[in-house]
Amino acid sequence: MIEKGKIWKFSGVILIVYVIIAGLLIPLKSGIESVEPSYGNAGETLKIQVTGYNTHFKEAGNSLRAWLKWENGKAIAATEMVALDERRMNLTFSIPNNLPENTEVQAVTLLIDSEADGTSVLPSAIFLTQTEKVLAAEEVQWVKPGDFSNNGQITFPFRNILGETIRNTYFHVPLWFGMMFLFLFAVIHSIKYLRKGDAESDLKAEAYTQTGIFYGLLGLITGALWAKNTWGAYWSWDIKQNMTVVALLIYAAYFILRASFEDPEKRARVCAAYGIFAFSTLIPLIYVIPRLTDSLHPGSGGNPAFGSQDLDNTMRMVFYPAVIGFTLFGFWLSSLQFRYLRLQKLREDVD
Amino acid sequence: MSRFLLIVFMSFISIFSASAANADFMRSIGKIYVVVGVMLLLFIGITFYLILIDRRLTKFENQIKSDE
Amino acid sequence: MKDLHFILLLLRKEFLLEFRTRSAISGIFLYVISTLFVVYETFIKIQPNVWNTLFWIILLFVAVNAMVKSFVQEKGNRVLYYYSLLNPSHVLIAKIVYNTLLLLVLSLLIWGLFIFFGDNPVKDIGLFLLILFLGSFGFSVTFTFLASLVAASNQSSTLLAVLSFPLIIPIILMLVKISAHALRLIQDTAVSGDLAILVAIDLLLCGVALLLFPFIWRD
Repeated sequence: MIEKGKIWKFSGVILIVYVIIAGLLIPLKSGIESVEPSYGNAGETLKIQVTGYNTHFKEAGNSLRAWLKWENGKAIAATEMVALDERRMNLTFSIPNNLPENTEVQAVTLLIDSEADGTSVLPSAIFLTQTEKVLAAEEVQWVKPGDFSNNGQITFPFRNILGETIRNTYFHVPLWFGMMFLFLFAVIHSIKYLRKGDAESDLKAEAYTQTGIFYGLLGLITGALWAKNTWGAYWSWDIKQNMTVVALLIYAAYFILRASFEDPEKRARVCAAYGIFAFSTLIPLIYVIPRLTDSLHPGSGGNPAFGSQDLDNTMRMVFYPAVIGFTLFGFWLSSLQFRYLRLQKLREDVD
Repeated sequence: MSRFLLIVFMSFISIFSASAANADFMRSIGKIYVVVGVMLLLFIGITFYLILIDRRLTKFENQIKSDE
Repeated sequence: MKDLHFILLLLRKEFLLEFRTRSAISGIFLYVISTLFVVYETFIKIQPNVWNTLFWIILLFVAVNAMVKSFVQEKGNRVLYYYSLLNPSHVLIAKIVYNTLLLLVLSLLIWGLFIFFGDNPVKDIGLFLLILFLGSFGFSVTFTFLASLVAASNQSSTLLAVLSFPLIIPIILMLVKISAHALRLIQDTAVSGDLAILVAIDLLLCGVALLLFPFIWRD
């Protein structure tokens, strides 16, 4: 049915279809959306209302457990739990008179565990204030949260500001990876051109560069929409955004260079040389500079890619196929572009 | 060509302005509509690219036809 | 040894040509002086962090103007004679060394004029001299190589600016960061790491330029 040389195109499309289905259908893990109020004092009986996401508080019934945990590992269990509905629940904690840390304001993590939902964590959920230490304090019942239940469902992790947009990891991020692969292939063909002088390699380099720029623009646009709804602005002057714009400028200059030479052979040679030189400045640009400054993107401060906290095993099962799928799709687009350029060149040669 | 570019540009702008005007809508149900928006942008972008190639080929075909 | 001999010969040629046609070099000097004068006329008092950025931006523009003509002379019949005689890497190395020296002199001139018109915010002079050298070298490699690319086109000066400004960004970001350290604007212990990255970028670009130049040189 399918010709041998076209298998990669179809596998690219099948991978993207898989990514769209899996990326949209797998539910988000239940999580804690908000806690009201989010502050309290030492020694008081603290009543809070928890709003969950994808949770089943009513259904969980007696298996519900909740803790407040300090950074040093000490934790207290909730004294009373009342589920209002599936998404809302009232919790009561008796905060000890002497908080376990030495600072005046201490952030505590809220943990909720149930058989229906598994474990949900909200770091820095509540800020507790300790004005002065009480000397004769009561015995505090410190507990160790443990024995977490696992409901065995396949889920994507819940991150508070991301919510469902964590799925964009499969539709926005692969565009960057695809862009880099396309630029890499453009460089490989530029090198081929300089070594062999084959005019087709030059056209291939041009086609790959065009598709790479297209992917970069798509990445910028989709990233802007995502950023607006999570970080609060379309453009955050984040170092990675800026570096991508620079990369696009570099390759836009490639086309200006192409346009300014008449002689096709001279043009091909100069553009191949510029393409290789430009790619070698991209390496420090994309992998070295972002390490030096803070970034809103994950993996800043030492790691250019995703860390293990940003991508769990379930996400990997979708993310890696997404990268491969979008890259193959990009190759397909470039091959169309290349075939058009080749036809045009043939025609020019005939004329 | 310019009319076509305008349509693409307008559709991008309308998605963005819709998202800006209905920030509450975009952020309801765990911000799922942001994902919808991103996929819509992707689809429009790829369609745009395909139409570009399509138009170039049509032009090319017409040239060849007129030569004959 | 023979390589060095050729490079020195070519270097001597560059200097001789520059001194014989003094109009180009004096044009650049005048450009520097008038830019600095305009800057001080409009700013009056310059804060150290503005000084830091301004210094490198001015050097960037001076570099573009000084380097456009690197390969303009290498046209016509004389070049045909060169092709048969010379190794292209020697030509490029000589040009890079000459342009580095020229930029070093120009950057010292800019610095001197800044001190003359205002005051001197540079606290760590040794470090600043070091990055002046590294910066001049990086600029010189990038601009010389790109000038050789655009020499054949007929609008080379605009083209050079368009091509080089995005490419120079990694270098100039590192330069501004390290020189902020030399001005004591930031306290950062990782300055040696930054220097190492800058040296690595410079050497990477220089290596790539040397590899690619033979392909552009032979017409």
